[in-house]
Amino acid sequence: MTQRAAPEPYADEQRAGGQSTLVSSVSQSRRSHLLSITDSALGYMSLEDMLSELLERIRSALEVDTAAVLLLDEDRGVLLARAARGLEEEVRQGVQVPLARGFAGRVAAEARPIVIEDLDHAEVVNPILRQKGIRSMLGVPIHVERRVIGVMHIGTFVPRSFDEDDVTLLQLAADRAAHAIDNARISEQRAVTEIMQRTLLPDALPEIPGLRFSAKYLPAGSGIKVGGDWYDVVQLTNGRVAFVIGDVVGRGVLAASVMAEIRTALRAYMALGHEPAQLVTMLNELLVSMGRSRGATLCILELDPEAEELEAVTAGHLPPLLVEPDGEALLLEQAHGLPVGVRTGHDYQAFRHPFPTGSRLLLYTDGLIERRGESIDDGFQRLTVAAQAAARGTDSSFADRVYRALIDETPLPDDIALLSIESVALEDQLEMTLAARPNVLGGLRNTLGRWLRAAGAGESELFDVTLSASEAATNAIEHAYGAREATFTVRCERHGQDVTVAVSDDGRWRTARHQRGGRGLHIMRSLLDSVTVESDRPGTVVTMTKRLTGQ
Amino acid sequence: MTPLELERIDGVPVAHVSEDVDAANAVTAERQLADGLGPDASSLVVDLSDTRYLDSAGIDMLLRLSDRLADRRAKLILVIPDSSQLKRLVSIVGLDKAIAIHPTLAQALRRAAAPPGAAEAVGDTPTPGRPTTPGRGAPLHSTE
Repeated sequence: MTQRAAPEPYADEQRAGGQSTLVSSVSQSRRSHLLSITDSALGYMSLEDMLSELLERIRSALEVDTAAVLLLDEDRGVLLARAARGLEEEVRQGVQVPLARGFAGRVAAEARPIVIEDLDHAEVVNPILRQKGIRSMLGVPIHVERRVIGVMHIGTFVPRSFDEDDVTLLQLAADRAAHAIDNARISEQRAVTEIMQRTLLPDALPEIPGLRFSAKYLPAGSGIKVGGDWYDVVQLTNGRVAFVIGDVVGRGVLAASVMAEIRTALRAYMALGHEPAQLVTMLNELLVSMGRSRGATLCILELDPEAEELEAVTAGHLPPLLVEPDGEALLLEQAHGLPVGVRTGHDYQAFRHPFPTGSRLLLYTDGLIERRGESIDDGFQRLTVAAQAAARGTDSSFADRVYRALIDETPLPDDIALLSIESVALEDQLEMTLAARPNVLGGLRNTLGRWLRAAGAGESELFDVTLSASEAATNAIEHAYGAREATFTVRCERHGQDVTVAVSDDGRWRTARHQRGGRGLHIMRSLLDSVTVESDRPGTVVTMTKRLTGQ
Repeated sequence: MTPLELERIDGVPVAHVSEDVDAANAVTAERQLADGLGPDASSLVVDLSDTRYLDSAGIDMLLRLSDRLADRRAKLILVIPDSSQLKRLVSIVGLDKAIAIHPTLAQALRRAAAPPGAAEAVGDTPTPGRPTTPGRGAPLHSTE
């Protein structure tokens, strides 16, 4: 569209009297104008193009010189020029009109149409209106669900009295714009929220022998009711694995950003070695001190695979569901804490529960079980039945089987996150390929400890083999120092009473360079029946054996 | 669990190490332990009662820590219970010949309270307010 070079006096005979004469030809043209404004083709344009086109059609339909849309910034209480025709400077200069002041400000504050017949005798905030030589104006509020989100106004360079029909037609156009603005805002928010969700959920779940993890996150089907549900899985350096599931109050970008804060805070506290009850207590204090108005419910669970035990803390969250090896299902609700971010000084309590081989655990958010018009107990009942049936299946992951048993409606009314943990028996042969970084050592000792217990090792034997494997692994890691993608492999075998652990890497045993390398070898030879070091290109294999007698 | 808990018992700094010490955390642990001595104390008790694994990186760390404390005219005293698997380990590597090791915290505290060079006599001066612990005749491996 071309911009008008200068205000041109609007001289239309029909307008000469200042009153519209409803002769049939006018009525006819009104109808076509009406159609031009309600044209469904407008719905397929981007918001920018749509507003621009809509304003142009209004200008021609109502035979005015200017048309503009201002949108309300609720946080700052100002109206911002968003689109204009004949008044393009308004958008270019980023005109802001305070709520309740000036012409547009009054239209928004009073939420009703306002007419100015002569601009010379009216309060106007925006200097451009006077500079352009506008004489008469009509403004209507733009509503979404009875809330004013902006103002649409038109103006003429010659005095004009706007009538009821003008108001009706402009209000119709404003409603049309409201719909498009709201949709655009929703899809914008949803897009941002979905990106945040994707970035904040783990890319991949850890691989730990003897454990199976599966997770699902499903965004709500439509609108901005997305965001705020999350899960996280963290391998701790002490060999334990931490699981988090949570739900921030509310939805959308704000909920997702609070979720990001919580996730980061928890990871930082975990890195410092805090236990679950401390984690939640510290997180609660942090959120309250930050003045976050949005609370969150969450459950943190730490699993010690070797000890076959878990430690859990819940903060206002639905209890984890455990399916025991014999198929019995129970909700773990020994201790309940308040949601985090609500009240300072709350003391969160952890509880422990056995998690033997063959156990399955499910963490979930309320979208999985809550149904409108149904009690939460009915939801738990359905979950229990679904989880027991899922525990017997094998066709897909446990989380997926539970999900499919419970959810058949689409689109989803609410977000759903679920995370499952299954403990399976370790094979007689165990092979692990680990990143050559010291923080894998705790996990290695834990898995090896579990494998040795299953092989019938006594406490002392368990210590000897595990510590020796850890020594060999440390050497492999130190050798790979600096190589980013380096890995090493641990292979464990059992033949009757004899266990063999072989640690292989692609480098040389560093006896000469490291006193510790020599000490490590000395420790291994003292604790085990035999230790061989084969240093050959391209790598080193340390093979350790010990006969188990249950000591 | 918080890897390191520091407290003072009758003025003696005591660090309880509850996690494994290995190549992943030895450097951090050394710094935290050295800081735990404070400006005035003449000994630091490192309680390894709840430590399950301590590998060669951990042993190196304790030797370096002992040297660092010696530079500040302070001594390092370890608590390793007789039932701990670490007991065998420290004798394999000879750590018990380089650093004072006691089976209980009470014994370690008595050792800390004793004047330098009085290692053999510590059992005769129980620390006030602390129960005397049986097993005070346990050999003290000190190089002093």
